[in-house]
Amino acid sequence: MDRALKARLEARFGDVLSGPLRQRHDETEIRIAARDVPDVLRALHDEPAFEFQLLADLAGVDTGDHMQVVYHLWSSTSSDWLRVIADDLSREAPRAPSVTFLWTGAEWLEREAYDMFGIRFEGNRDLRRIFMPPDYTSFPLRKDFFLPDDAARSPGAGSRHMERSAPPSAVPAGTVRRSKA
Amino acid sequence: MTALSRTWGRLTTPGKVVFTLLPILVVLTVGLVVAIVIFGGPIWDVVLANLGVVRFVAAATIILVITIPIAFLNIFLEMKVIAFMNLRIGPDRVGPWGTLLSVVHGLKVLMKEDFTPTGADSVVFTWAPVVTYAAAVMTVLVLPFAPGLYGQDFNIGLLYFFAMGGLGVVGLLMGGWSSFNKYSLLGGLRSAAQIISYEIPLTLSAVGLLILAGTMSLNTIVQQQSGWFTDWYVFRQPLGFVIFFIAATAEGNRTPFDLTEADSEIVAGFATEYSGMRFGFFFFAEYVNVFILSALTVVLFLGGWNAPFPFPHLAVNLDPGGLGIPLLFLLTLGPAIATIVLAAPFYLARSSMRWWVALIIGFALFNVLTVGLILTWGFISFSWVAGLLWFLVKTFTFVFVFVWMRATLPRVRIDQLMGFAWKWLLPAALLNLFVTAAAVVVVGS
Amino acid sequence: MATTPHQHASADDPRVLLDDHMGLYEPIPPYPPRTEREQEFYTLGDGEMFLNAGPHHLATHGVLRVVMKLDGERIVDVDPVLGYLHRGVEKLCENADFHQTIAYMDPLEYVASLFCEWPAVMAYEKLLDVEVPRRAEYIRVLTGELNRVSSHLLAMGFHALDLGGITPILYSFIERDEIVEMLAAITGQRMLFNYFRIGGVNGDLNHDFMSRLGDWMSRAGQQVAANAALLNENEIFVQRNRGVGTMDRVTAIKHCWTGPNLRASGVPFDLRRAHPYSVYPELDFDIPTRAEGDSLARYLLRIDEVKQSLRIIDQCLHQMPDGPVMAKLPRLLRPRPGRAFAAIEGPRGEYGIYAVSDGTDQPFRFRIHDPSFLHLQSFTTLAPGGLIADWMTLNASLDPIMGGIDK
Repeated sequence: MDRALKARLEARFGDVLSGPLRQRHDETEIRIAARDVPDVLRALHDEPAFEFQLLADLAGVDTGDHMQVVYHLWSSTSSDWLRVIADDLSREAPRAPSVTFLWTGAEWLEREAYDMFGIRFEGNRDLRRIFMPPDYTSFPLRKDFFLPDDAARSPGAGSRHMERSAPPSAVPAGTVRRSKA
Repeated sequence: MTALSRTWGRLTTPGKVVFTLLPILVVLTVGLVVAIVIFGGPIWDVVLANLGVVRFVAAATIILVITIPIAFLNIFLEMKVIAFMNLRIGPDRVGPWGTLLSVVHGLKVLMKEDFTPTGADSVVFTWAPVVTYAAAVMTVLVLPFAPGLYGQDFNIGLLYFFAMGGLGVVGLLMGGWSSFNKYSLLGGLRSAAQIISYEIPLTLSAVGLLILAGTMSLNTIVQQQSGWFTDWYVFRQPLGFVIFFIAATAEGNRTPFDLTEADSEIVAGFATEYSGMRFGFFFFAEYVNVFILSALTVVLFLGGWNAPFPFPHLAVNLDPGGLGIPLLFLLTLGPAIATIVLAAPFYLARSSMRWWVALIIGFALFNVLTVGLILTWGFISFSWVAGLLWFLVKTFTFVFVFVWMRATLPRVRIDQLMGFAWKWLLPAALLNLFVTAAAVVVVGS
Repeated sequence: MATTPHQHASADDPRVLLDDHMGLYEPIPPYPPRTEREQEFYTLGDGEMFLNAGPHHLATHGVLRVVMKLDGERIVDVDPVLGYLHRGVEKLCENADFHQTIAYMDPLEYVASLFCEWPAVMAYEKLLDVEVPRRAEYIRVLTGELNRVSSHLLAMGFHALDLGGITPILYSFIERDEIVEMLAAITGQRMLFNYFRIGGVNGDLNHDFMSRLGDWMSRAGQQVAANAALLNENEIFVQRNRGVGTMDRVTAIKHCWTGPNLRASGVPFDLRRAHPYSVYPELDFDIPTRAEGDSLARYLLRIDEVKQSLRIIDQCLHQMPDGPVMAKLPRLLRPRPGRAFAAIEGPRGEYGIYAVSDGTDQPFRFRIHDPSFLHLQSFTTLAPGGLIADWMTLNASLDPIMGGIDK
């Protein structure tokens, strides 16, 4: 755990953090709102106190209540992984700013998050499906998408559930797995 | 009847043509034989009067037939040699040491479906392998295998060879264009660019040799190189030899210049859409090309059929007919006695061996010995046997080198390939030509 | 959005076959372009054509489809199309027990399977606050480095194969087979090992493994050097690779590259040192880098890494402590709700796992980060301007594995 990083982060981003700064093992975690992502990541990337120049991972998360985009960053200034969680994206129409202006490589990572969760990254020049076929309508990693053996619980109730797109609000209450991620 | 018509309906157009032509061919052949038997004298006179034409037809037929075992041998050599170089075993199932595997490959391509893709230009698509194969086979016609053993001795033999060799690219281009496939198209265009570029250094490197030889007849060129191996043209044209061999590698589409069928880039190049025997023809043509390019290198630079040293020619004149009645005894009893004599040591030395096993071993040994004796006798008595042997030994050494390069070298890139031809080989060939010409003028005057 | 000239209502439409077979063979998708990039790519300029390489092609290292826009032999633009090997591993893992997910990890990286199991077990160990026995850590490092050597050897062989040399791949396979056999002696599998466990490894080293390893180590360095000499001094091979797909260090970081490909661009970033895990801090090894950043540098760097891996294996054998190889853990794992990210340095770069637990026996979110995915992405930057043959060189030197890319 890098206590100094915690202090630096709280001093610099104290006003934009939307949740508590957590540290566990070799990870430091901050939560911000999606609209603050470009500013915060640019500051983390550029400022000499942080210099988080390597994007280790970009992942979408569906907590069952809302969507998240999770960035993992690496820096030579800290011995910790920095996890930036862009929190509270709506499940109906998740939107987040793209970080391709910082990391060109994030383009496909964002395409993947779009393909799996339907998160629209504004500013990504090539946001189309990457794994699933182009005429596919669902977003498989959402929590209201069930595997075939759980199809009875799925919104399509087993009838071509893979191709069926249901708005998250149409999912019956109590079927979606939720977590405080 | 319905079965017959259904079978007929299933045949492709070339198949229908072949099945119509075959009975006609049989009838004509039988008629010819009958005619020769009945009107023997006049026909024989006609044949003797046109001996050149008859010799040409016979040679063309024989050469068409011998290209198949040559291709089989080259394919087997490639499989086995590359396997050994890769520390693999290679073919070892069909025949002794897998020698018959290439025959099985030939049967396999015959039995495969002959497929023409939708959108292909079927006429051009069908004729492309024929053109390539025919071009390869036609070049064999002027190759001197041994003294007196050649199809035709043109006084423009080398020119004919290059002309026919250059025709092969037409077939590749036809196949590449008509396949309706972009990989084929790229392969066809690559082959056109490559072979036309490498024709020039190939031909120019031989021109220096032609200045020295003063003839284009391959037979004469070989005869000029008789004597010790220092008389071979390779020692008077070393640069020309190197350029010729490199350009020949590119002409034969062999690694490292096998861009036309670069399998990791454009799948199989011009042959991507080919299957069955049409692919087989392309495949055969490639291996026949390997053989004839090696043979031409040997003929031009390495003395052809000549032994590397003046070979003592022992004309042992055996006349078996002079033995009379004892010859009859020799022919009837000789094999049996020899077999028993050869089998006896095995039977006596190993008590566990059955008598018939020993006899089989004896018989096999007898055959080997007899064939060896006959070959030795032929080698000593007839100059063409010795010549053919030397020629084949040298040629297959070069075939081995081609195979060796394939096992060792990666492939060049198309721009490097073209750059090498135009920036290095062509100036080097021109330099070789000028130096040779200047030397001839200086020494000659 | 404007539409492209070749358009069909659906690819299943039988009229496509009857009316216009040209359309069937063109790789232009039968639907309107979804993004500007797609429209730009699928609009042909003067004298250009599309070439559809894959999903079954000899040089795509798996079922990758690459649509190339060509001007003659020169590549104008490329568009890699993924998803032909997509199995939904993340979704499967989110519906599986924590122990079961490890088995799902193996086929992701079918050349170096241990490197996909490793971050997964590390992430779970962080979620569960488990201390892994030191012997188990050493065994992980030992087997992992063996696996890295086998993966790099295969990459070297396939590099030559893609360039048309058929022999090095078979020489590489001799060494790889030795390694795979010795790993099979402890894991029971030749390819998909499924060896790491949460809190340790599945079994201790055995006599079969140790005797094979000792036998192989006595000649490994020589063999690898001999195999490399077959290619490194080959002028054709060097000319084919030099200056192809050159990536400078700034762009490489922008493209999120990791592993040997990044180090070949001159960035000495190796997670074994940059973010130490397991027992790597106790081991002595160098991080080779190269400044050129082209295909040749990437190829040569892998050979350098093999030498360093052999050093690590040697040290592991000398420093390995005695003790248990598994931590004491309950059969049914229910970690406290939380989040954990673990990343390791694999033969292709950073393999990362982001695991979220919601207190049940299944991970709530299981994110797999694969380096090949990001290296493949750079095709669009590196391939244009080169020839078709350069694309093979690029593909071989970036060494992507489709199992991890398509997940």
